Amino acid sequence: MNYSALTLQYFETAKGAGVLTGPDVRRGAAGSRTHGTWVQFDVQVDGGIVQAARFLAFACPHTIAVAAWVAEHAVGHDFRAALPETVQNLSERFAVPVEKRGRLLIIEDAWAAAAAGALRG
Amino acid sequence: MSATGRPVYLDYAATTPVDPRVAAAMAQCLTLDGEFGNPASASHSFGDAAGALVETARAQVAASVRAAPAEVVWTSGATEANNLAIFGVARYYREYGRHIVTARTEHKAVLDPCRELERRGWRVTYLAPDSGGVIHPDQVAAALQADTVLVSIMHVNNETGVLQDIASMAAICANHGGARLHVDAAQSVGKCAVDFTHLGADLMSLSAHKVYGPKGVGALLVSRRERERRTRVQLTALQFGGGQELGLRAGTVATHQVVGMGLAFALAAAAPESEAERIAVLRERLWQGLARLSGTLRNGDAGHSVPHLLNVSFEGVEGESLLTAVRGQLAVSTGAACTSALREPSYVLRALGRDDILSESSLRFGLGRDTSERDIDTAVAVVAQAVSRLRKVSGS
Repeated sequence: MNYSALTLQYFETAKGAGVLTGPDVRRGAAGSRTHGTWVQFDVQVDGGIVQAARFLAFACPHTIAVAAWVAEHAVGHDFRAALPETVQNLSERFAVPVEKRGRLLIIEDAWAAAAAGALRG
Repeated sequence: MSATGRPVYLDYAATTPVDPRVAAAMAQCLTLDGEFGNPASASHSFGDAAGALVETARAQVAASVRAAPAEVVWTSGATEANNLAIFGVARYYREYGRHIVTARTEHKAVLDPCRELERRGWRVTYLAPDSGGVIHPDQVAAALQADTVLVSIMHVNNETGVLQDIASMAAICANHGGARLHVDAAQSVGKCAVDFTHLGADLMSLSAHKVYGPKGVGALLVSRRERERRTRVQLTALQFGGGQELGLRAGTVATHQVVGMGLAFALAAAAPESEAERIAVLRERLWQGLARLSGTLRNGDAGHSVPHLLNVSFEGVEGESLLTAVRGQLAVSTGAACTSALREPSYVLRALGRDDILSESSLRFGLGRDTSERDIDTAVAVVAQAVSRLRKVSGS
């Protein structure tokens, strides 16, 4: 498997890996470890604006890299169900093979779950 | 990193570097000032010289596995040898029976021909190993049917290094009378004693590139022994066009390739026992180092395996990420099909009872001649760091 430089950069540094706690943190998760891909986001929100975001991922390098990028780039933006970029754009940005693009939907679902407060931490 | 600045190579079960002595011998068979003749050319000295080298190589391979030179049929590798054995027996004995016995843990070079025969009307029984990867001889006995014509069981498993009791299986097949025993021994030579005569197999596949020889050459040993209850094994050839190799494998014999295989096997046979002991010590050092990590599971029965292989699963780690995290510093393989965008857990580890996730999160370490203590210590450090980091990322 070949990975783009950006994918390797975010996979290797995995900035933003971890959890957040507190009353202003919303948690959302999607996927399943037993099925090979699981992603969780913790998002700290103040006044509708993302103050901080962390992620956990049991997943392939592409998924870890994109989750790390999302956690980093969501900060300072309105907190809403949509990702900072569309799945299509993220696929292209990280050169995700077409066979693996479905995994990015798990990232989107985890983010949406956090936005919905469905799995409040 | 190794002293050369390249990743530490611990994938000797996939392939080995060609021994420089082997490469030199091969080079002597290629150019005008060497023995470049066609070994089948009987009309001049060029052919005679090349033919003599081919027969010397045949004798070297035979001697290294305690076979007779006449039992060695050159092929392009173990895959072709497996195909020749399986299809060759199936076709020759098709009027006697159409049942084959093999194991779920065989290499694809055995499983895929068996599946193709199933598509063509043969019946195949796939034996399941125990949790250590061992196929017990009584399983073979129980699987034999009146019309069984072939049993194909590998000697050393390519993922776990587990050794099978071939001699007992051969006795069972001999007692059955109609079942011929084929053994894929691609991983055996140079790693454990291989005695074709003593093991009693009818057919045995060999590969050169696992033994510091070149890729692209192997052999099928075809027993010429008569047995009490049956005649010696027969094969139907799969390719035609020259009658070489007793009509079993048509095509000009590649002198340089077989010369390389012959010398590689001779060198392997001449290796001191202390080398296997050295490898065993290194593997134990590797295992002890990795076992210090929690959630580390050894795959395959350590008491029934060659010392050159160690297969380990790591809990709480995704397989593709693990391999990616170490690949800059280590050359190892994983239970997952890492060349595919879609994960495919190791069917060998699944047959041992590992679940999909643990089958994927495995690393196969293959140790070889140039593996050093420093390499092992590097591997332990790199894997420990990667596993710890990925567990942190996954919250495991």
